[in-house]
Formats: sequence, structure tokens, C-alpha cells
Amino acid sequence: MHIAICIKQVPDIAAVRIDRERMTVVREGVQNIINPSDYQALSLAMALKSKIGGTVTVITMGPPQSEEALREALAAGADRGILLTDHAFAGADTLATSHVLSKAISRLDPAPSIIFCGNNTIDSDTGHVGPQVAEELGIAQVCGILDVQAESEQTLLAKRMGERYIETIRVGCPVLFTVRKEGGTAILPGLGSLQRAFSAGSIISWDKEELGLSDDETGLAGSATRVWRLRATPLKIKGDIITGQAQELVQAILRKLESMSLVDEDQRHE
Amino acid sequence: MNRGSCLVWVFGDYGDYFQNRVTLQLIAKGKSLAAELDTRLGVVVLGEDIGQYVMEYAAHGADVIYAADHHALKDYDVELFTAVVASWVGIYRPEIFLAGATVFGREFFPRLAKRLQTGLSADCVALEIDKESGAFVQTTPAFGGDLLADVITPQHRPQMATVHPGTFRELSHDPFAIAELIYPPVPELPPRKIEVIRRRQERAHKASLKDAKVVIVGGKGMGSKANFEKLFQLAEILDGEVGATRPAVDAGWIGEERLLGQTGKSVRPRLLITIGTSGALQYTSGIQGSETVIAVNRDPSAPIFSVADLGIVGDADRIVSLLIEELNRRL
Ligand SMILES: Cc1cc2nc3c(=O)[nH]c(=O)nc-3n(C[C@H](O)[C@H](O)[C@H](O)COP(=O)(O)OP(=O)(O)OC[C@H]3O[C@@H](n4cnc5c(N)ncnc54)[C@H](O)[C@@H]3O)c2cc1C
Ligand SMILES: Nc1ncnc2c1ncn2[C@@H]1O[C@H](COP(=O)(O)O)[C@@H](O)[C@H]1O
Repeated sequence: MHIAICIKQVPDIAAVRIDRERMTVVREGVQNIINPSDYQALSLAMALKSKIGGTVTVITMGPPQSEEALREALAAGADRGILLTDHAFAGADTLATSHVLSKAISRLDPAPSIIFCGNNTIDSDTGHVGPQVAEELGIAQVCGILDVQAESEQTLLAKRMGERYIETIRVGCPVLFTVRKEGGTAILPGLGSLQRAFSAGSIISWDKEELGLSDDETGLAGSATRVWRLRATPLKIKGDIITGQAQELVQAILRKLESMSLVDEDQRHE
Repeated sequence: MNRGSCLVWVFGDYGDYFQNRVTLQLIAKGKSLAAELDTRLGVVVLGEDIGQYVMEYAAHGADVIYAADHHALKDYDVELFTAVVASWVGIYRPEIFLAGATVFGREFFPRLAKRLQTGLSADCVALEIDKESGAFVQTTPAFGGDLLADVITPQHRPQMATVHPGTFRELSHDPFAIAELIYPPVPELPPRKIEVIRRRQERAHKASLKDAKVVIVGGKGMGSKANFEKLFQLAEILDGEVGATRPAVDAGWIGEERLLGQTGKSVRPRLLITIGTSGALQYTSGIQGSETVIAVNRDPSAPIFSVADLGIVGDADRIVSLLIEELNRRL
């Protein structure tokens, strides 16, 4: 069984600050990480591999430094990494991103039976790329899964969260899953190998030419959408924000509760 | 109005009550966009025995309804729906096409946009036609909601967007409204590749949470299960109920049925105290009906403060413990 996973290196958004005065994103000292739901996808892939065997290929499109993400995935047990990097890929929306990823996946030999994506990235957060890769490859998609098990050689059972239900879904290969980060599977220790992660040859790099792509199919030129402008979310401060000693803060809450007649006024301070 | 054309479309997602509300909200917004563009608003409805939805969409403002009433379309399936809707877009060529950012909308619309080779913006919180350029501006949260990105689709059509539930207000129900009903041809359908073999309802709504006058919500910032449990004491004293954000549920501090937000419940209490929650849109969409909100967070720049009437910058556990102590003393 050949499993492919699309991962993206993203800034650790929780640590990113927005300078509202200058309208800039402060990335200083912010670490780059593997997008959390992609990491969760990697752990589902490793769990599958440890049960039914096979090879795991991780793929990323990004600047040269995204190789770090691939090495991290190799250290966690993936067998090889593919880095899709080219100046022409920059500024891609999901239409162009999914095109480059699909082109790369369709070059893999043997063709993967299972493709994993994260449910969404923490920086772009569209959740579009997975379904759009499935569409370009013409295969089934199951989005938002928490877990997946092999049912037989060619069928899988996936658990996913619907709007109001938790669904169990049977699907045949080939299939693309998008994985929610809340699933809770941990990568088994010992599966990975630092040696493989840092050995030459375990990562290959493909550019535009290698993928047979023309300029107008990738990056900004291949995108249908444009970010016209960025602006600060209006701060809708409704009320007071207070700081101070815990005692004072609790008194403020109590006064609010009193004003709503949810508690009786304190008798003690007369 | 250009009587003939119907160039603003909404996907009729009626999967459950919640999803259907989003459709109604989008009909209202789509209708005002259509008026600005001098065209009509259409709703696409696929399924079997969809009469009730056709009536409802007409009553809520749809001008045209494009329907397929077909046994094979009874259950939602991304690939089947993509095949049908893509062929209809090819016939009628709408300019704008909207869907709710529901679980289904968010997996169906990307696939459809890809098949149509057009752009899609995700989970929009505002939509408007720019007065100067005439561009259809789709506003979506960026950087975890700290920034807003105004996205446009200069050349590709239709301009597609999924929209955050609750962003727009539905029109009132007009039982006398009429809409044109069209049954476009249904193309040959691809085979169903996905079989739902079990569907487990997340545990039934606790009536008491939905109707509670006071709701205490704990988030990840509660830090531990032991700390989280103090919220039950607090709720008991205030005669309220406890709710939670996704990370608190995932940590096993409380059951899924207490989850609030986009994928959980919505509450409308008189007072909601939200503790150790950052204020992600997916959560705050479930509490926006609250009359008064008190937020406790140690980070003074936490977005939750923007929806709070009273913001307390402090340590979650310390505040909760002290508050319980004070309230007990007063009893
Ligand atoms: C498609 C989708 C649907 C989602 N649906 C939902 C949903 O329905 N409901 C939901 O809740 N989430 C949902 N989420 C997740 C949501 O985006 C947020 O991740 C989640 O609401 C964050 O929960 P939180 O505020 O508890 O945790 P965090 O975002 O981690 O925030 C914790 C907060 O606690 C504060 N804190 C930490 N320690 C302390 C302390 N000691 N004292 C005081 N404050 C402290 C921190 O400053 C921080 O602001 C969804 C996400 C997606 C992508
Ligand atoms: N540049 C990229 N390289 C590889 N995979 C990506 C890239 N961008 C997105 N993905 C995959 O698509 C998923 C959804 O991304 P998004 O549509 O940006 O929310 C991610 O979780 C990844 O699995």
C-alpha cells in the first residue's frame, strides 16, 4: 500500500502577533511547524502503515526551507519526501496549489492508494486543497476524519464528524482523506529514523519544469482569487476590560452579578 | 430589474435545521446582491421529496428555484452533487454562487469550484459589491481572525464563496411569495463511492443547557480536569449550566454534548461567563445570543474580550476559586 500525505510548513500562528498600528504581521521569533492537522494525518498514516505495511511519501509545496518539514516527517517515520519548490509557485491560491500537488501525486509510482491531507491549515485555513486535489485526480474524498482503519485489502472504514453526527464511512481505494487535528492518535515512537531523515536521497525536489507545468498554471498567475487588501478586524470592544488583584477582579464580577440581580448584595460591608 | 437573468445563486443546504438556516440567511443576502446587480436570486435544491424546501425557499425570498427531485440524490454525496450542479452552472452561467460554510458546504464547494476552474473564498464574514470597481468583495478572516482579507475573483466565474453561519439575517417568511421553479436536466450520475454505514447522533441536546439563564463556559485555559470541575460548583451556585470549547471537550474534561459553537450548540442565556477561552469565531458564533458576557482570560489582547461586556484579565483557576469562595460566603 502506498500512502501519500500533503503537508505544509506554517508559522506557529498562536505566536504570531499583529501590529495593529502598522498593520503588519510580526513573525519575529515565530517558529515554523508542520501544520497541526497535517501532523495528525501523518500519525494516522503511520498507524495504518504499522498494521498493513507499505510506504509513506510526504509531499510539500513551499519555499526551500519547507524541507525542514519533510525531514521532521521522515524522522517521524515517513519513507521519503518530495519538495515542490519553484519561484513560479509563490502566491498560489487553492486552485493553483491543488494543481501543483495533483501533478506531483500523479507522477508517483506506484500511484498512491490513499492520500491524506490536513482538514485545514492554520495560516490559510480554507480547507479547500484536499477536496480540490481529489477532484483533479478524479478520486473519492472523505473530509474531516478522526480515524481510519483498513477493513480489507481495498476498503477502509473512516470515522468522521458530520454536522450533528459521528459517521462511520466505508470507502474503497483510491481515496483522499482530510484529517481533523483533534483525532488523538500519536505517532508510535521508534518508527522514524533520524538517519533516514538526514540521509541524502530520501528527499527529492521537483520544480515547474520537472512537473511539466507552464507559468500560467501555477502561483499567482494560476490563481483565480486575489487578496485585494488586508485590514484589521474591527475591535468591537463592548465593555470594560479590567486588570488588577484577583480579589478586586472577583469583586467586579460580583458587582456585575448584583446589578443583574443574580446574587444578593453583600451584607458584610455596612 | 432584468427579468430574464438569474445570476446570483445560493446552494440550498437543508441537511438539518442549522444548515437550512444558513441557506435562508444566504437567500436574504443573495437577494440584495442580486438587486444591486439588477438580476434575480436563484436557489439550487437537490434531493428527493424536496417540496417542503422549495416552498420554504420561495417564502424566504428566492426568485428562481433550480431543482432536481431524484431518488439517487436522496442522500448528500459530494461527487454526485458536483456532477449535477457543475452541469447546471454550465447551462445558466451564474456570476456569484454562495453556500453556507457548513461541514457539507466546506467539502462540496471546493470540489465544485475546482471542476469549474474558478475561485472560492472560505468562511466569509462579509460580502459586498464595491461601489467604485463593481467587484464582488468576499471578506474572510485571516491569521486566526486577527486580520480580515478582502478577496476578489477578477476573471473567473462564477465567483464562489462559503459563508460563515449567522453572518446574515434571514428575511421573514412570506407564504404568498412565488418563485419560478425550474427542473434543469440531470446529467448522468457517477457511481456512489462512499457508503455511510453508521450514523451516531452526538448525544442529545441537554434541554437545560439550551434554556439555562446562566451558562459557565470553560476553555483550554482552565488547564486541567480538576480545575474544570470547579465550574460545576460555580454553575450550581448560580443555578446555571456548564458548556465548553472544543479543546476542553477533546481533553476529556467534559462530554461532547456540552460543546458550544459552530460544531456544537448555541446558547442564549441572560449571563454567560466564559473562562480561559480565546474567542475563536467558531466558538463565539455559538454564544452571540447571550445578553451579557463576562470573559476571564490572562491575555489582555485575547479576542474574547471583544465580545465581552466585562473583561477580567486574570488567572482562570484563581478567579474561579475565589469567586466560589466569595459566593459561598454570601449564601
Ligand atoms: C471547522 C471548525 C469548527 C470548529 N468548531 C468549534 C466549535 O463548535 N466550538 C469550539 O469551541 N471550537 C470550535 N473550533 C475550534 C476553535 O477554532 C478554537 O480552536 C477553540 O474554540 C479554542 O478553544 P479555547 O478558547 O478553549 O482554547 P484556546 O484557543 O487554546 O484558548 C485558550 C485561552 O485561554 C487563555 N488562558 C490560558 N491559560 C490561562 C489561565 N491560566 N488563566 C486564564 N486564561 C488562560 C489563553 O490566553 C487563551 O486565550 C472549530 C474549529 C474549526 C476549524
Ligand atoms: N503548500 C502545500 N503543500 C502541501 N500540502 C498543502 C499545501 N497547502 C495545503 N496543503 C494541504 O491541504 C490541506 C488544507 O489546506 P488549506 O486548504 O490551506 O486549509 C493542508 O492541511 C495540507 O494537507
